[in-house]
Amino acid sequence: MKRIFVALGLIFALACALRLFAVPQAAPAGQQAPKPTAKKKVSAQEGERKFQENCGRCHNPPDSLSPREVKAVLQHMRVRAMLSQEDEQLILKYLAP
Amino acid sequence: MNRALKTVLTLSLFSASALQAQSDTPILSGALAFLGSTNGGANSYQPILAPVLVAPFGDHWLVESRADVQGFIARQDGTSGPYSGQFAASLDYLQLDYIANSHLTVTVGRFLTPFNIYNERMSAVWISNLEDGPIIFTIGTRTSASSNGFMVRGDLVARPEWSVNYTAYFSAATTTENLQSGRAAGGRMGVFFPQAGLEVGASYQRFLQNGDYNVSGAYVVWEPPPVPLDVRAEYAHSPGGHGYWLEGAYHLASSRGTSTWLSRLQAVARVQQFIKGSNPNPEDLLPSVNVNQFDIGLNYYLPHDVRLNGSYGRQYSSAGNANIWNFAITYRFLFPAWPGENK
Repeated sequence: MKRIFVALGLIFALACALRLFAVPQAAPAGQQAPKPTAKKKVSAQEGERKFQENCGRCHNPPDSLSPREVKAVLQHMRVRAMLSQEDEQLILKYLAP
Repeated sequence: MNRALKTVLTLSLFSASALQAQSDTPILSGALAFLGSTNGGANSYQPILAPVLVAPFGDHWLVESRADVQGFIARQDGTSGPYSGQFAASLDYLQLDYIANSHLTVTVGRFLTPFNIYNERMSAVWISNLEDGPIIFTIGTRTSASSNGFMVRGDLVARPEWSVNYTAYFSAATTTENLQSGRAAGGRMGVFFPQAGLEVGASYQRFLQNGDYNVSGAYVVWEPPPVPLDVRAEYAHSPGGHGYWLEGAYHLASSRGTSTWLSRLQAVARVQQFIKGSNPNPEDLLPSVNVNQFDIGLNYYLPHDVRLNGSYGRQYSSAGNANIWNFAITYRFLFPAWPGENK
């Protein structure tokens, strides 16, 4: 049993290290940002596509989600469907525009 | 081992409460369902409550839990005699997740055993297209379909055209009532092609009690993007037997905004086959004879997350052929765990 907890500790340390050394993604240099409304629309479309690709493989979108519920739902699905943080944000825009 | 399990669960809850300062609103979700079945002339009814609790703590920590409270009401002698009922409750999972990044999530506690796809992705009563699970379901999920221990999972590689996901876990043997698990270690790896809507993967498990043995499996999920069609299949092999299932579901309500009655209808068909192995073990909960079965069903998605299911199946085996009729009504609920303003 001791070995299990040691292994667990090592994995936890590895997870923390990966997080510590993760490099934040910067916006591509020289790329002009689209207008906010257009960007929002594109994000929602992209979010719907990501939903269908990931979450839609198992179930339909819920009828409605309040803003208070969305974060917990998406974190739950991030673990279940192995969503990336970027996909999580896009699906967030689709589910709670 | 029971003490160790309690320690892990307590640590999970302690860690979660320690992080509560940065908490977000937890949600209560799950389903309320009523299932009815006639299998070879024997009627049975199952009321089910499956509550899910999800509590995020900041961007990286999450506590998730799902319980299963269900009754089984049937005639005492199968097809005759008075009806009697039994009720049982079990904990499907209670896990603490640390989401390090998209490549690594660490889970401790009790979790659904990640063998192939049915147990993790399709076994929830509000998700499964057909009421009955596949015959080979217990291969790789033996004991309780849940594991007590730790798991790591994530994407090894994530590109726009394809990604590789993995899961690896260790489970300790637990005999505590409603928290049973087998001593086992295993993993799963899948490759997903989002543009084609195709995922293929394989699973392996080493069962480490009552004589070690290997279990293996493979799966395919295909959802061609322009067509509301879901095709899923699994193959699993153990010393107790091997088999496969293949399911197709044509669903016209796969995206939001559809409201015509026809668009809420889903047609489902499944074929499956089980071939008994050379070393059967009653604890595997597998049939003692070869079995072939097909099922066809219709599901109707009503507003407010209510679903009606109906299906007919025919089972062929040397123990006797049987007709299987199933129906179910499922209400899926989701709301914040405590009241507050929607901001």
